[in-house]
Order: sequence, then C-alpha cells, then structure tokens
Amino acid sequence: MSTSALTLTPRQRRAFGLLVAGEIKIAIRRPVGLLVAIGIPFALLVIFGSIPATTRPEPALGGISFFDLYVPTLMVFVLIAVGLTGLPQQLSSYRQQGVLRRMSTTPVPPAWLLAAQTTVSLILAAIGIAILLGAGAGAYGLALPHDAGGDILSVVALLLTAAATIGLGLVVAAVAKSPQIAGAITALFFYPLAFFSGLYVPVQEIHSQLITDIAKVLPTGAGFNALHAAFGGQSPGVLPFLVLVGWVIVCSLAAARLFRWE
Amino acid sequence: MSIQELDRTDARVSAPVPSGPARPPVIEVARLHKEYGSTVALDDVSFTVHAGEIFGILGRNGAGKTTAVECITGLRTPDRGDIRVLGLDPRRDRQELHERVGVQLQDSAVPDLMRVGEVVELYASFYREPADGRELIATLGLHDAQHTYFKHLSGGQKQRLSIVLALIGQPEIAVLDELTTGLDPEARRHTWKLIEKVRARGVTIVLVTHFMEEAERLCDRVALIDHGRVVALDRPGALALAATTSKRVRLTPIDPLPEELLSALPEVSAVEHHGAEVVVAGSGDLVTAVVLALHRAGIQAEDVETETANLEDAFLALTDETTHADSNGVTR
Repeated sequence: MSTSALTLTPRQRRAFGLLVAGEIKIAIRRPVGLLVAIGIPFALLVIFGSIPATTRPEPALGGISFFDLYVPTLMVFVLIAVGLTGLPQQLSSYRQQGVLRRMSTTPVPPAWLLAAQTTVSLILAAIGIAILLGAGAGAYGLALPHDAGGDILSVVALLLTAAATIGLGLVVAAVAKSPQIAGAITALFFYPLAFFSGLYVPVQEIHSQLITDIAKVLPTGAGFNALHAAFGGQSPGVLPFLVLVGWVIVCSLAAARLFRWE
Repeated sequence: MSIQELDRTDARVSAPVPSGPARPPVIEVARLHKEYGSTVALDDVSFTVHAGEIFGILGRNGAGKTTAVECITGLRTPDRGDIRVLGLDPRRDRQELHERVGVQLQDSAVPDLMRVGEVVELYASFYREPADGRELIATLGLHDAQHTYFKHLSGGQKQRLSIVLALIGQPEIAVLDELTTGLDPEARRHTWKLIEKVRARGVTIVLVTHFMEEAERLCDRVALIDHGRVVALDRPGALALAATTSKRVRLTPIDPLPEELLSALPEVSAVEHHGAEVVVAGSGDLVTAVVLALHRAGIQAEDVETETANLEDAFLALTDETTHADSNGVTR
C-alpha cells in the first residue's frame, strides 16, 4: 500500500494491471453492479430528458429546468451506486470466501486487490458520468459548465464525492462480515443518501431549512450543491468541498482502522 | 511370514533417515508458542524440516496444525519462539518468503467468476520467476478446465488448482494444508501421486493432514501434534513401531501346546485360547521368541499371524497419553 504507483516495478505494474483487468471482467460477468451504477441513472436521464415539462426552464428554479437540476443528482447517484453497492459486497465476499487470505500468501499483498477494486469503481463511475453528460448534452440540451473554472470545480467536486462514497463503501466492507450484512448496511445508508442528493425530489423544492441543512453536511448533498453551482456558473463556496474532504478523511481513517483481511 | 515381517520392520528402524541431517535444514522452528485468549494453540513446538523431504504435520482437527503453518508462512505472529524459513524471518522478510515458499491454505479461494487460465496468469504475475502456467495446468490435469469459472470446478479440480497456485512461483518449499480433505478416495490417491511428482522436482513439502493413511503413504517424517504440542516426531514406520508397547501373535498349533511353554517366556504377558487358535500377547521381540520356543519344543503351528501396528495405532496411543495430561491444566 505504501508503494505509490510511481515506484512500482514493471512486474508490479503488470500484476496490478491484471488485477484490475480481472475485476473488470468480473464486473461484466456479474452485471448487477453495472446495471445499478450505469443503467439506472441512464434510464432516469432518458425518461426525464424526454418529458417536455421537465426540460422547460422554470422561474421557480431560478430560470433553469428540472432536468438541468436533476443531472447533477444523477452524477452523485452514480457515485453512491459505485461506492456503496458494488465495492462493499465484493470485498466482503472476497474476505468471506478466502480470496484475500489466498492472496496474503503471495508476494503481492491483498491490499492490492482493494486498490484494484477502488480503481475499477472509479473507472465505472467515470463511464457512467461520461454517458450521462454525453447523452444529456447531445440529446437533451443539458447545460454544461460555461467556463474552465466551472469545469475544474465540477471535476474536483466529482473526485471528492467519489472519494467520500468509496470511503463509505470501504467502511462498510471493513465492518461487514459477509456480503449479506454489507448489503443490509448499504441499504440503510443508500436511500437516505440518495434522498439528500435530490433523487426523489429536489431538496430545494422541499422548502425545509432542516432538510437543506442536513443536505449540506452529507456527502451526497454537498456533492450535489457543488456540482449544481458549478454547472450553473455560480460559485459553490468552500463549504461543500470542506464537508467532502471531512468525509474522505473520516472514512479513510475508519476503514484503515477497522479493515480485517480475514 | 511373520519373521519376514519382523525383519522388514527391523530394517526400517535401523535404516538411515531418507532425507537425514546430511541435507540442509530449510525450516527451523524452535519453542514456538501461541495463545488465543486462554486457549493454547501451540505449546513449545520445535521441529526442523530438511531440503527435499516430505514433512508431515499430523493431528486432529483443532490440534494446532494450521496455526503452526500460519506462523511458518508469516501470516501469524507467534507469542514466543524462533522461526527460520530458508534463512528468512517469516514476519520481517514476508515478501521474500512468499516469493520462495508456495502456500495452499484451508478456507482460501479465488474469485468465483474468474476462469482457471485467468487465475493462473494473474498469480504468475505476482512472482519474480513464475513457472510455465500452461505446463502446470496440463501437469495437474486441468487443461480441459482452462476456461471454466472457479465456481464451476469440482472439489478435486479446485484442489488441483490450489496446487498449481502453490507451485506457480517455482517455490523451494510448498506448504499444503489439508490438501485432500473432502476428496473422494480416487481423487485423493491421484493427488498423492502429484505430491510425489512435485517432490521429485526438488521441492520440499510440508504436508498438513489429519489422515493417517496420507501421512503414512507420503511423508518421510511426521510431527504428531496434539493439543498444541509435538507429541512425537519420527518416520511414520518408526512412530508406529515405537507406539506398540503391546503386540499380539495368533497361531493354530497342530501338536498339543503345553500351557507354560509360552507363558514362561519373558516377552509374553498373556496366552488365550480361542478354540484351536491361540492368541499370545506380549511385547519386545515377541514373534521371534514365540516361533523359536515352538521350534525348540518341536511343536508345529500353522496360520501364524502378527498384528502389526500402523500409524493410526501410534496416533491413538500417543494422543491418548496427552488426553490424560488434560487434567493438568492443558486447555484445548
């Protein structure tokens, strides 16, 4: 783990590449994860993009359409789907079945498998988000960030949100002894987190200060706020980024402390 | 026939240890101790494994075998004791150790949805100088299963794949834990042949098993572990012999047999008549003594049979002793 990618020998790089390739093949062979992380958000994009009422600019939403508001929500959804549904189940089943134990007897430590899993999660998230943005902008007139500043803020917001949701997933993987338990814990977090990203109804439309405040301190709400502002050409402020960094730090420390290889 | 039998066992006792001290030690374990809470898993365990031998670690389930193996392979830190494997410290030099020691552990697996060929290619990439994966797959009879998912392999195929993975790094030592557990007798015998082939390649093998037959058939030397302690360490044959404090000879005398002729012998402890058959119990060189006494008295006998001990008897005899020691505070 302490070895950075830059100091890997060619042999180690090849081993890591094969680990990542193997995990990608497994993700394709058991495509439930792909369906949730890429298929569902894409389907929602197509549905809401096709309804004229949702793509019309609305004065109540500050002159943008519901669709423009919803795409950042879908991007956050991709990230929690990748971090919370795929990663913890896979890692806890690897631990339960003895896959991590098997690897611990080789010169390559099982932490590499965790790193490979994380890499695959990031790749899946990037694909899911690229599809959303490509299809959204291409077919449904999605407004992308206006300038380089907005682009950079969006990328930073996406990366931090991804780090936070993957961190949460690793904490679940750390404490769950079996994939069933991981699934149960995940379900407990998944729907509230999805709610505060505005998946069911935009948080702005609830008009509750409490809900708005809770959203601000949750990784999904903070991620949404940052993305929404950056896409709309406004300044997201520092708060969402600080909240996300906080979640990343807390989750990484907790996962590192709690993770058991057997 | 009985005397031949005796001769054979005698020869085994006096024969030099096949892979004796002339060969360099590759694993040195001294005064190993490990506790889990109040349970003593290993208690003052010491043994040495020499290059090129098949060394058995034999014991009941829960005797401490797997803990011993985990300490040797650097997966667990003992509370006390010294371990050297190929001159390395298993904890400190873990990565180097894993380059040179192949390990097959119980309760270990590869991902369900990886194909045999993919797993072997992946594991080969972990090692400095990997073996030819295709050749190993062929040697272990997995050629037809190359494209099969791990979860679709039979129990025997999974075990053979685990041997492939234990050998893929071209190890100097292969540690195989409960390799044949759960296999049917035919698959087990097939696996034994494979292990002998692996040894023929010059690989030292540490075989952990609770099958007496397996240890007897394969191992040059066996450490018998019970309740975390090494209760005996020797060649399987010698262990069996040492454990037989009492032996029995059955014979059917053709001529009348005076009662005191045999009971007077110092080797004999009891003589029983079962119809025409006589069962003589005793110790030491019992068969020779009985046969010579009959011969001197001019009595002919037929169907002379000895009940020879095997490793299973040794196992029971040796582990029974330690069961008694249980009351002296040895926790299980």
